[in-house]
Amino acid sequence: MPISLRGVMQSPVTPLKDDFSLDVPTYEKLVDFHVRTGATAISWPHHKGESLNLTMQERKMGAEATVKAVGGRVPVSIHVSSLAVEDAMELAQHAQKIGADAIIAITPYFWAPSPEAIYDYFVRLGTSIDLPMIAYNSPAYLEGVEINGPLIERLLRRLPNLIAMKEASFNSEKFMEISRAALKVRPDFSIVAGVEFLAPSVPLGCVGSYSSAGAICPNLCTRLFDACINGRSAEARELQFKLARLWDLFRDQYPSSLKGGMVVMGRPVGPTRPPLPTATKERQAYIAKQLEELGIMDTEPHGW
Amino acid sequence: MSTFKPGLVHTPVTPFTADQKIDFKTFEKVIDFHLKHGAEALAVQMHAGESVSLTDAEQRNTLEFVIKQVNGRVPVIAHVSDSGTGIAVDRARNAERAGAAAVIATSTYYWTPPSPMVFEHISQIGASVGIPFYLLYTPDEMGGTHHINTDMVMKLIDKLPNFSGVVDVSHDWQFMINIVSNAWRKNPAFQLLAGSEYMVSAGAVGASSVFTSLSAVAPRLVKSLHDICRTERYFDARAMQEDLTALYQIVKRAGDGGLKGAMRARGRDCGQPRAPLDPLQAEGYATLVAEMEKLPFMAKEPQGWS
Repeated sequence: MPISLRGVMQSPVTPLKDDFSLDVPTYEKLVDFHVRTGATAISWPHHKGESLNLTMQERKMGAEATVKAVGGRVPVSIHVSSLAVEDAMELAQHAQKIGADAIIAITPYFWAPSPEAIYDYFVRLGTSIDLPMIAYNSPAYLEGVEINGPLIERLLRRLPNLIAMKEASFNSEKFMEISRAALKVRPDFSIVAGVEFLAPSVPLGCVGSYSSAGAICPNLCTRLFDACINGRSAEARELQFKLARLWDLFRDQYPSSLKGGMVVMGRPVGPTRPPLPTATKERQAYIAKQLEELGIMDTEPHGW
Repeated sequence: MSTFKPGLVHTPVTPFTADQKIDFKTFEKVIDFHLKHGAEALAVQMHAGESVSLTDAEQRNTLEFVIKQVNGRVPVIAHVSDSGTGIAVDRARNAERAGAAAVIATSTYYWTPPSPMVFEHISQIGASVGIPFYLLYTPDEMGGTHHINTDMVMKLIDKLPNFSGVVDVSHDWQFMINIVSNAWRKNPAFQLLAGSEYMVSAGAVGASSVFTSLSAVAPRLVKSLHDICRTERYFDARAMQEDLTALYQIVKRAGDGGLKGAMRARGRDCGQPRAPLDPLQAEGYATLVAEMEKLPFMAKEPQGWS
């Protein structure tokens, strides 16, 4: 499927059984839930999907389940970032083989690679496949390792299949540095916000976002994008404030709190795999109270 | 809480002579230029005005000079930050006596006190005056000494009746949204102010005023962007924001002397920055001029002091 990114795209959590093994039937229900409630694309497994806590075998199995569950209704991208570059390469090959529409990859983990090393990494990954590639930029989580303006410009000149960036700086200066450099080389390059910070980014040309809260409040996500893209500033601001409160709620022990919130919304997806904690009953009760206060229980779907 | 809303706030540079003395004759021209080109308020001795390189006496003298020169035409906001709480408090009190409309301060320079002491530092400055007090949030410039977060801002709102807003130079959407969405639940009149020319995103999440140093270089574009953001037409503002970002990046790349270099290129020579900031050397200046000349909108900007 030709991939065009726009709107709020969902990156599902990874449902686990009580013994922490993958719960594929629940995962398929979750993917279907996202597609039915407005996801414009599905991408798995982001960090929210506990990517780094899954074995290579599990990641391949989950990728296959994603493509199957989506069934061509929306584009599917597979997040291939791994501690070892060799694993990322293998996951990219696998994504292509199973019929994914794109891959997505963050700058390398742990090491503090030079801009040249980051360039080499993305070139190696991007030229190893015939799929579109989405670069993922998250300097706050990776100790300042980032894709800046000059680097994205070089990458775009080298990689025709680099079509978009998941941009998680959440910062006007960085966003504009990247967008000005990228759009000069490729006017149809898409920049997607890492989570739903849409009010400050859509007016700057951001085409949409991945979602932190879509498993809790898909209606709110869709309404926010709609208000932003149609220039209804006051409404967008009000909805953005609500989503920002949810982001604060869920990024504390992310994605454990999110999974806790899904229990509250009648969509239980099991525990979170160590070393991340699992939301306790007390945490779930706190989340339920917050969701109640924000009116989420009255406006969002309950159950599957 | 005061109803003072500063609007388009120009932040003038401090001109220096070749021997690094304050050049008051040129300073007069700087002030008049800003007032002629859309300033709705002036904030003096901000970091763009090299506050940290001025002695306490110089800061007091220049504030009094600017207030006299402005002569009531627009409000003057005084930046009073310092390392020592007592010094900053004295400077704030002096600013109020001198006729400043508001004071602004950030957290401590150099020291990295625990968070409660940062709160104490800021709240003592704010409590020392009856005029509006603004908090400056500029984490890139302040390094690890900041400790300013939403909880602290909420406590400051509770403690200081004159605490009017946060001026954000972080460009950080999460910070801005958290501050303003929480503050408005306590007090809908609390202000978020963009601390630089990145007005579109800041405006979209609730900023109502802007502090701008590039108004000394491209005041017409700055004013146009501010006017359009004021009416919340953010999509229409994007092209102007792109243009202003291009200028911002050029000036930033030129280093410490970039802003004054850009002013010199527009016929408004204010000398070099005072030591220890690096002066802009000939090669850097040539690059800056060449890059500015490639910006089509600069042809519409004023040349010289008129």
